[in-house]
Amino acid sequence: MQQGPGTETLVTWEDQQLINKFSRLNNRFHELEDEIKIAKENNESLEDASNELILSDEDILRFQIGEVFAHMPREDVEGRLEKMMEEASKELEKLEEEKETVLAQMAELKRILYGKFKDSINLEED
Amino acid sequence: MAASSTSSSVGGPLERRGIPAATFVEDVQTYLTQLGLDANSALAFYKNVLTFKCVVLDRLQQYKIVEMKLLAQQRDLQAKIPDIEKCLDIVATLQAKKDAGEALIADFEVSEGIYSRAQIEETDSVCLWLGANVMLEYSCDEADALLKKNLENAKASLGVLIADLQFLRDQVTVTQVTIARVYNWDVHQRRIKQATKEA
Repeated sequence: MQQGPGTETLVTWEDQQLINKFSRLNNRFHELEDEIKIAKENNESLEDASNELILSDEDILRFQIGEVFAHMPREDVEGRLEKMMEEASKELEKLEEEKETVLAQMAELKRILYGKFKDSINLEED
Repeated sequence: MAASSTSSSVGGPLERRGIPAATFVEDVQTYLTQLGLDANSALAFYKNVLTFKCVVLDRLQQYKIVEMKLLAQQRDLQAKIPDIEKCLDIVATLQAKKDAGEALIADFEVSEGIYSRAQIEETDSVCLWLGANVMLEYSCDEADALLKKNLENAKASLGVLIADLQFLRDQVTVTQVTIARVYNWDVHQRRIKQATKEA
């Protein structure tokens, strides 16, 4: 958000608002990247668990709820796992969607701000 | 020098939960004059930078400190929410087992890496650790309601906290833009002086 040396362009409150918005979106973008990474890992772990479940032939499994491993019949575990996987993939989808919107909004703001301030403003990451 | 005041926090709130709003500067020259700086004196640059540092860079530093504090609070809350969800999950499981008339058999950690088996017979109540060395016994329904309320509160506080952080970051951005513009203005000013000297 630094302006390079050059002639002074008048910055209005509206411009400042746009810069603030861009900064907020940029922040959110980084948060989203982290959240997406975590969500992906979560998805993978659940996937692994589900694969292990297929391989195991025990009827009673230990499933962690809270801090303890509860003994549960196989079909209950399958049901729970399925539900968790569904939620996890929905969550990931939601985050990916938000990332797209954020990127689109950032591109639009870049267009407006570069249009006005030319090279007096730098909106790129180092 | 323009007579009209051009530095104010137009359009925005003046503060949010104790965080003062940053001053938005529309016209750099007027702003520096308002700080009591003589923009035309020979020593202007050094004096400007010094006063400017006192006023604005200090403010930026304060914003950064508050930001760190808020970020720590955010992390705490974000960790608390899944914890409460885990509690709700186990209470629900106990209730489901009770309704089915079964006992819950669970392996639990007695010490790090050592597990023992417990059989929890039909139970009507759980004990909630309330903090401050206090534990209270609740019926499962009450525990569920209390935990849900805690979860709601935690989510609400997180919402407020995120809004606070956004406000704060806006102020940081305003301040950074101001710093960049004052420095630019100064560079520009000195170029003009240089040009007039050479001419």
